[in-house]
Amino acid sequence: MTHKNHFDGSRYANDLTLAYSAPTGTDIDWLNEIRQKSMDAFVEVGLPGARVEEWKYTNLSSMNSKTYGVLEKAGELDAAIMAIIDDAYLDDIRGSKVVFIDGFYKAELSTIKGEDGLKLLSLNEYIKSQNGDAKTLLQSTHEVSSLANLNSALMTDGYVIQVKPNIKLSQPIQIIHVSGERSNLKALRNKNFIEVSENSSAQIIESFIGVDNVDNWKQDVTQIWVEKNAVLEIYQTQLQGNETIHMGETHIDVAEDADFKHYSLNIGAKNSRTEIKPTLNGLHGNVDLRGAFLGRGGNSHDVFTHMKHLVPECESDQIYRGVLDKGGKSAFQGKVYVAKDAQLTNAEQSNKNLLLDRDAEANSKPELLIYADDVKCAHGATVGELDAEALFYLKSRGLYLAAAKSLLVEAFIAEVYDDVAIPSVKEKYLGLARAWLD
Amino acid sequence: MLEIKNLHVEVAGQKILKGIDLTINAGEVHAIMGPNGSGKSTLSYAICGKDGYEVTEGSITYKGKNFLELEANERAAEGAFLGFQYPVEIPGVSNMNFLKTAVNSIRKYKGEDEMAPVEFLKLVRAKAAELEMDPEMLKRAVNVGFSGGEKKRNEMVQMAVLDPGFSVLDETDSGLDIDALRVVADGINRMRAPEKSILVITHYQRLLDYVVPDFVHVLADGKIVKSGDKSLAMELEKQGYGHLGIDENAA
Ligand SMILES: Nc1ncnc2c1ncn2[C@@H]1O[C@H](COP(=O)(O)OP(=O)(O)O)[C@@H](O)[C@H]1O
Ligand SMILES: [Mg+2]
Repeated sequence: MTHKNHFDGSRYANDLTLAYSAPTGTDIDWLNEIRQKSMDAFVEVGLPGARVEEWKYTNLSSMNSKTYGVLEKAGELDAAIMAIIDDAYLDDIRGSKVVFIDGFYKAELSTIKGEDGLKLLSLNEYIKSQNGDAKTLLQSTHEVSSLANLNSALMTDGYVIQVKPNIKLSQPIQIIHVSGERSNLKALRNKNFIEVSENSSAQIIESFIGVDNVDNWKQDVTQIWVEKNAVLEIYQTQLQGNETIHMGETHIDVAEDADFKHYSLNIGAKNSRTEIKPTLNGLHGNVDLRGAFLGRGGNSHDVFTHMKHLVPECESDQIYRGVLDKGGKSAFQGKVYVAKDAQLTNAEQSNKNLLLDRDAEANSKPELLIYADDVKCAHGATVGELDAEALFYLKSRGLYLAAAKSLLVEAFIAEVYDDVAIPSVKEKYLGLARAWLD
Repeated sequence: MLEIKNLHVEVAGQKILKGIDLTINAGEVHAIMGPNGSGKSTLSYAICGKDGYEVTEGSITYKGKNFLELEANERAAEGAFLGFQYPVEIPGVSNMNFLKTAVNSIRKYKGEDEMAPVEFLKLVRAKAAELEMDPEMLKRAVNVGFSGGEKKRNEMVQMAVLDPGFSVLDETDSGLDIDALRVVADGINRMRAPEKSILVITHYQRLLDYVVPDFVHVLADGKIVKSGDKSLAMELEKQGYGHLGIDENAA
């Protein structure tokens, strides 16, 4: 199925040695074992090729000739980096601010606000401070993809967020990932864990930003648990530099009566790949996935969702919108699996794409695997152009063509962010979309 | 004010208008009547610059400006307004936002500053009230879920806010009950002024009882076959198009 010759296994041996010491400053045997095992698993399979169904729209062949080695430490801070952090930071949000530079947590740029029942720290701190728990946590991940294995082998840092039972976080946590010049030809790999315990709730605002003309590979793998009757909302924006390969893979376990919401906006990067894989494994769980991707001039955005309904009476709803201008490309693949026992499932999925130019491409592939018989599953996928009648209507009222297009595109995207609960986050999403259009 | 000479228009390679001559002076209201498919809407689109309505011969001049050289939005900014026979639904764009963008686009074209938000709000509320439109509808998406009558009323609100020098109103009266017709007719009459002109396209003489035209023209098969005063409209109402030798079902 896959081709191991997709990459040169030996070149990772050196990376592994670097990774052994990079994150914690000390060699930890159990961690090195996990790294070695994960690396072996990765080498066995290699990078996913175009023949793998899940990757058929994404061409990773350009990565083969590059090394994208492990980066040992973050680059120096300069004015340009500080400016883009300022841009990304929402200063009306009073919760903790967590900043990663080149894949490493930066305490001097972060503000961790103590809050009862909240544990928030970098993966490296976590590993250093609580060896036993960390081992359990790192071994608990059940990733199956070769890229997730590569991440486990070579990750250099990440974050751990744990919310104890019966705690409603009073403020959203802001996480900002920045990649700078130093990451050129390097891979920045983070592994993250979020656990929201029974009857608790949390909101996380996560921005991925970077400078232009830096050829790097950002790869985050995140494991999330939303426990019984808990609520988690994640708000992501991706504005990486124009030469970045951006990959985010998120696995979510959604328990009984739990509620998980994930919003995203992909604008930057040469190639972005957003994978979201929720598993509904408790009665009455709910998942809402919302996202938009805007591409032009060599951007390619992939969104891959895999919604797994394992038990009865859960709901999931997905709304994704793509806007592709000259030279932009996208693929949405939305897989919905409903197990035999998952009766009374309600699963919806909608992906609409707008092409603003002849030289633009949008692919949309819903895939429903339904083994229960009493379910409601609806899906819709469209690729179209702006409505000429609507454009003329707007122009006949005095709107310039560009303004008319902006208004229509904004309206097309707006549905995705309609129910964003934090006003400044909603405004940020719409503002970024508007800026992309202008 | 508006001068149309020997206008020939093709749509999708098909000849629709075949030599229209029409001059509308400042202060005048003209009415165009004619059977379905005779080219009335095509004329309104050609005046306002819709893509795909190709002028193959003739000219359209407004206040001395060659309209054929202007984009649709430039024609609007110069003062032309089209009341659509079938107003378009625009999901996700609120009436308010739409109107504000329209007002400020026209101001931008003229080199003027944007209208102050408070002033804009006052203006829109006043015009909506004049046309007896529920202010809640201003917050809703443009024409989405509006009844036929509400859409036509919304066209009139837009016209009142944009305050055009020349309006072409394409079957604005169709689908209205008598009360709504009166409200819309009042709206049109408020636009009558010595420096403004109006072209009303209608199927029925009914509207012309309220908006009394200075001239009435009959359009058939892409040509104006007869012109007269308002008595021509009454004559058509009584005797039908057949009386003029026009086949009602020609299109
Ligand atoms: N977009 C179009 N494509 C093709 N034919 C059209 C189009 N618009 C109008 N026509 C044709 O042009 C003729 C005139 O139409 P129209 O101007 O709508 O007439 P009216 O408004 O008088 O009913 C009709 O035969 C109609 O079929
Ligand atoms: Mg018509």
